[in-house]
Amino acid sequence: MNIKTVTVIGANGTMGKNVSAIFASFGNAKVYLACRTMEKAKQAIVDAYKSIRTETIREKLIPITYDNIESAIKESDLIFETLNEDIDLKISMYEKINDFIQDNSIIGSVTSGLSIKKLSSVFGSKKKNFFGIHFFNPPYNLSLCELVIHDETQREKALELSDYLTNSLNRTVVLTKDLPSFLGNRIGFFFINEALKLAEEYNDKGGIDYIDAILGNFTGRSMPPIVTADFVGLDTSKSIIDYIFENIDDSFRNSFELPNYITKLVGDGRLGRKVGLGLYKKEEDKKYVYDIENDEYRLVVKYNIKFANEMKENIIIGKYKEAINILLSDSSNESTICRQMIYKYIIYSLYVSNVVTDDIYSCDDAMATGFGWLPPIGYIELLGGKDKFYELVKKEMDDKWIKVLDNERLLDKLNKKSKYDYRKFIKS
Amino acid sequence: MNNKVYILGGSQTDFSRNWNKEGKNVIALLRENIFDTLNEVNLTKEEIIELNKNNKIAIFVGNFIAENYINQGHLGSLLTEVDPCFYGIPSARYEAACASGSVAIDAASSKIKDGTYDVAIVIGFELMKTVDSRVGGSFLGKAGYYEKEGKDIELPFPKLFSKLADELLIKYNLNREVFLKDLADISFINYRNAKRNSNAQTRDWYVCDKEIINRGNETNPIIAGELALKDCSQITDGASSIILCSDKYNKIRNNKSNVIIKGFGHRVAPLEFEKKMEDSKNNKYILPWTRQACLDAYKRAKLTVDDIDLFETHDCFTSSEYAAISCFGLCEPGGEHNVINSGIIDFNGKKPINPSGGLIGCGHPVGATGVRMMLDLYKQVSNKAGKYQIKNAKNAMMLNLGGSATTNYAYIVGKDI
Repeated sequence: MNIKTVTVIGANGTMGKNVSAIFASFGNAKVYLACRTMEKAKQAIVDAYKSIRTETIREKLIPITYDNIESAIKESDLIFETLNEDIDLKISMYEKINDFIQDNSIIGSVTSGLSIKKLSSVFGSKKKNFFGIHFFNPPYNLSLCELVIHDETQREKALELSDYLTNSLNRTVVLTKDLPSFLGNRIGFFFINEALKLAEEYNDKGGIDYIDAILGNFTGRSMPPIVTADFVGLDTSKSIIDYIFENIDDSFRNSFELPNYITKLVGDGRLGRKVGLGLYKKEEDKKYVYDIENDEYRLVVKYNIKFANEMKENIIIGKYKEAINILLSDSSNESTICRQMIYKYIIYSLYVSNVVTDDIYSCDDAMATGFGWLPPIGYIELLGGKDKFYELVKKEMDDKWIKVLDNERLLDKLNKKSKYDYRKFIKS
Repeated sequence: MNNKVYILGGSQTDFSRNWNKEGKNVIALLRENIFDTLNEVNLTKEEIIELNKNNKIAIFVGNFIAENYINQGHLGSLLTEVDPCFYGIPSARYEAACASGSVAIDAASSKIKDGTYDVAIVIGFELMKTVDSRVGGSFLGKAGYYEKEGKDIELPFPKLFSKLADELLIKYNLNREVFLKDLADISFINYRNAKRNSNAQTRDWYVCDKEIINRGNETNPIIAGELALKDCSQITDGASSIILCSDKYNKIRNNKSNVIIKGFGHRVAPLEFEKKMEDSKNNKYILPWTRQACLDAYKRAKLTVDDIDLFETHDCFTSSEYAAISCFGLCEPGGEHNVINSGIIDFNGKKPINPSGGLIGCGHPVGATGVRMMLDLYKQVSNKAGKYQIKNAKNAMMLNLGGSATTNYAYIVGKDI
């Protein structure tokens, strides 16, 4: 696939400018950065080349506004839309540009979960060239790219596009079906929302920072899950979680029921780290956390959780198996919460991967390269392999979870090692 | 006695990892690396204990300056913290700045050659991301004559190697623009090669030739003299280890190796850079002791440059790789431009240099580098280099430098035929 010219629509957004840089650098393409104003487009260019740390792409980045977008669209081999997750906004832009798009040009939307089929309907005969192309932020560090088709006839072209994304743009491509929030976010926000719910349930024990202390970096991530929600933004997290809740009707729907306190915080404009206030806040050198019941902030507590401390001591010196054995043999409430969350993460990942993709191993690509989390199949290896994992699940999880594994014989589908080395994901 | 020294194999850590950020210490680094190596070569803990009962195994640790980076000395004893199977094994740390890995290999192979030990574990490491680049630069300054070349000087080593660039310009009366383009080409070849190496620090970076040549811009700022950021090697956390063994031990193994160390050269030049230049004033080589180390290695291996299929060299800066080209004998001194320009040292050229990506592309955890180089020679000669395999490699040569080309170590590794 020869992509020489790209137009990025909404190029002043975080995703818009970062992805413009990827097209111009790895893709060596000329990129039109289309924004509402010229000022925004010019600023986007500076941010773009800085995001990839090379000034040389500057000359390939051209600022334009929506008022003079026609010639850019006509010239582009790829039109890439990165507007807000507002279906009406997207569709009105599509209607505006449709007539200028060449018959063979690829049209992509970076939507993180809206229906690609619904979005494609505007394009008429060109809809066969419309794909969901979901990058993760920041794309220079996170290589995951979900490629979504809305019609089987697109498959051949999707493979060509996948080849371009993989070999030219250095992406880890996962082909997914047109289902709500695709793969990465569906798994990631399943875990995050389960953690948010636990924080409410265990508010008397400490709530938010208590749950984050149980599901910390030592469980295979760079950031605990509730810190992650705060970092991503509570508005963004809420819209992803609500969208999945409204659009799925399987037995995991309840996992996406957003706790009320998040809705309240979003309503108050307490959106997380980007506004300096959310589930956590920092003042001078002190770190505070939101107390759900009292609706106020208190100092973050350094919980003394024995199993977690012992795991960390082992991880510092690279004894990963020993660390996991501590988790498995501990009988405290905290370790039980931790284990059950890990098992849910793995089971749900296999389940969704099986539904949303043709290759169950895709969940490993999604979580390792989209979230930087220890990927689920890699986790099974750390826990001692799939037979041991099944034993552990039977011992501690209720029937619902065992049935999920049994019904689709999910573990039987695992016949090779994960391509990810679990050691670098487990942190102390 | 002068027994052959076989290489059984080894491993390196992923040089893109930041162990400090992962919340792991040196023991974790050594544990991961040593057990990857033991698995790779099929050497069990039980065998190690058995070998040690007869005092036939030893450990050689290469490291430059862990005392500064991680406040840890007595590095020869660290593996005992990793596993009890290492209890009682003779082990010591070897240091020669960035050539520490090579001096550890040299000590190990001497003890194999003279029959003292049957198996030698050589492990090199450095954790450098514990401090910022300015503080780290000052630590590295101790590889020079610190009082004169390092103390109160910001980033002393880029300055010394930019002086080498200046001296090259004068000595060979080079065209500055052509020379700087050659240095940029060297850098780009290393970054490009690193893309093939799944353990290389920069494998996922975007680096283009235009940026490298375009020195002094926002994202490729001048670091010292003529040298910009992309002329410099990386600050890297990492470990690399190899297992060497005697002919006798190799024969009784199920998986026999046919890769041996064929020759080495070890020469120490005057410590101070100014004295090096004074010393080489009337010599056609700008770094005559580096050249001599290469000649010694060729002589001991009974090979010439024509027999070498690829090189791994010490591109701590582009100027050091430039000077190495004539030291290897790929051209007469001053003729480096033609070698670079004609594509000879490219991945697909006749004499590729740094198919691994070198110190610029693969990374430079200083104490590990010499061992990493020898591991790469082994991988190439035994056809195990994967995507960065040079076809039909039979003999390969490495050059590992300590300080401003003060300690010069060359090794030739090849098939035992």
